[in-house]
Amino acid sequence: MLSEDLHVSGVHLSDQELLRAADGELPTRSAARTHAHLAACWSCRARMAEIEATIADFARAHRQTLDPQLPPIAGPRALLRVQLAELASNPPASSWRWLSQFTSPMRVAAFVCVAFFVAAVVGKLLLEHSTLRRAKSPVISSERGMEPDPNLTPGATRRVTLSDVCSMAHEEVVAEVSTSLRQEVLQEYGIVNAHPDDYEIDYLIAPGLGGVEEIHNLWPEPYTSATWNARVKDALEERLHELVCAGKLDLSTAQRDIATDWIAAYKKYFHTDRPLASHFVSNL
Amino acid sequence: MPPRDSINGLPFPTLAHVALSTKPSAIEREVMVLFEQFRDPLLRYALSFGIPVHDAEEVIQEVFLSLFRHLELRRSRQNLRGWIFRVTHNLALKQLYANQKLHAKTASDWTIAEEQLDPSPGPEEQLSSAQRRQRLLAIVHALPEADQGCLRLRAEGLRYREIAAVLGMSLGAVSISLTRSLARLIRADGR
Repeated sequence: MLSEDLHVSGVHLSDQELLRAADGELPTRSAARTHAHLAACWSCRARMAEIEATIADFARAHRQTLDPQLPPIAGPRALLRVQLAELASNPPASSWRWLSQFTSPMRVAAFVCVAFFVAAVVGKLLLEHSTLRRAKSPVISSERGMEPDPNLTPGATRRVTLSDVCSMAHEEVVAEVSTSLRQEVLQEYGIVNAHPDDYEIDYLIAPGLGGVEEIHNLWPEPYTSATWNARVKDALEERLHELVCAGKLDLSTAQRDIATDWIAAYKKYFHTDRPLASHFVSNL
Repeated sequence: MPPRDSINGLPFPTLAHVALSTKPSAIEREVMVLFEQFRDPLLRYALSFGIPVHDAEEVIQEVFLSLFRHLELRRSRQNLRGWIFRVTHNLALKQLYANQKLHAKTASDWTIAEEQLDPSPGPEEQLSSAQRRQRLLAIVHALPEADQGCLRLRAEGLRYREIAAVLGMSLGAVSISLTRSLARLIRADGR
């Protein structure tokens, strides 16, 4: 709770709730509750008006200060058009051009030595890596889909408090995995030439439950699995988040259950052996 | 007949002429559309770092050239607006540090612009309006950098999720930052 909030009691909405409501950043259910409260409470409406007026003042000052400095767009537009056209008509320089700098015999000899050394190290690493890959090839079954390999994806969490986890709706804390990390995860699982729509690079322990965006907590979850697919797991994550924030489940238990066997966790927390119809969307 | 190189008089067409004589690709057209849409908000954001206008313009040009390369390499198209603002943020910051190295202190264009008054109200109202604006901006300048960034990005229309991505913060931190800044502005304004 913020020390600078004026309305922090349970009776009135906090400044943070008012601002998120004004910005359209509340989840649907909370937004409805907030608007119902505002309709009934003059005090909160007055505070909301102060916040809105300050936003308007700042937005006006921001524009009035900076807009007079903006040069007309025509010049920069023409310049960008030319630069883009040049970029498009000039493919990147040949990757062999750098060889031309090796004119002295000493440089050539040094380069050859370094190249041999690098080739030896890389070759050794590749050999070890391929052995590891064979040993840890992903487990795929038609029904359960690809399951996370506990050696590659044991799960990883950050230190979070319950209020950290519950201050946001589950769907608001799920971050997009960066493209480079996505590629790393696919490579780690030995998947090449994957279509972007085939896999969700999913958090084993969701960020909404304290999971972090690192390779030990990510694995390629196929959308196309017959039954236990990414969408079913999303439903489990949401369910666990609700239970944790309702005080019905320990955060550490939720993290352990989903990391150990998410399908077993789904069965446990939804009291079913099959995904519920509302969660399961077949891709076949 | 193609134009001759204006400097050397050589019988070669200029690079710009060759480039512009071909029809723009779909990606070039897309980048130009995004430029029209986001150039002003991005330029305002870059200027808010306190870099001179010509540097900010160069930053924006570089942003859209990077965007072209990004799209040409078929990288992610998700949240392009957030991507564009993030690159602007990084390049503007880099430019600011480079300028600070060159000059111990660069005169901020922001200060110059603050002298320009809104022409719409009458003289007395104008003075008080300008004074209020200066006071408001002084408070904003005194905020931590991340709080200033949140306010300015929000003023440019970015959603919390996009602001979080640009500044490398969590969604909760963005929400708390904006609330804290506005509470400070309200209190300073004596509302």
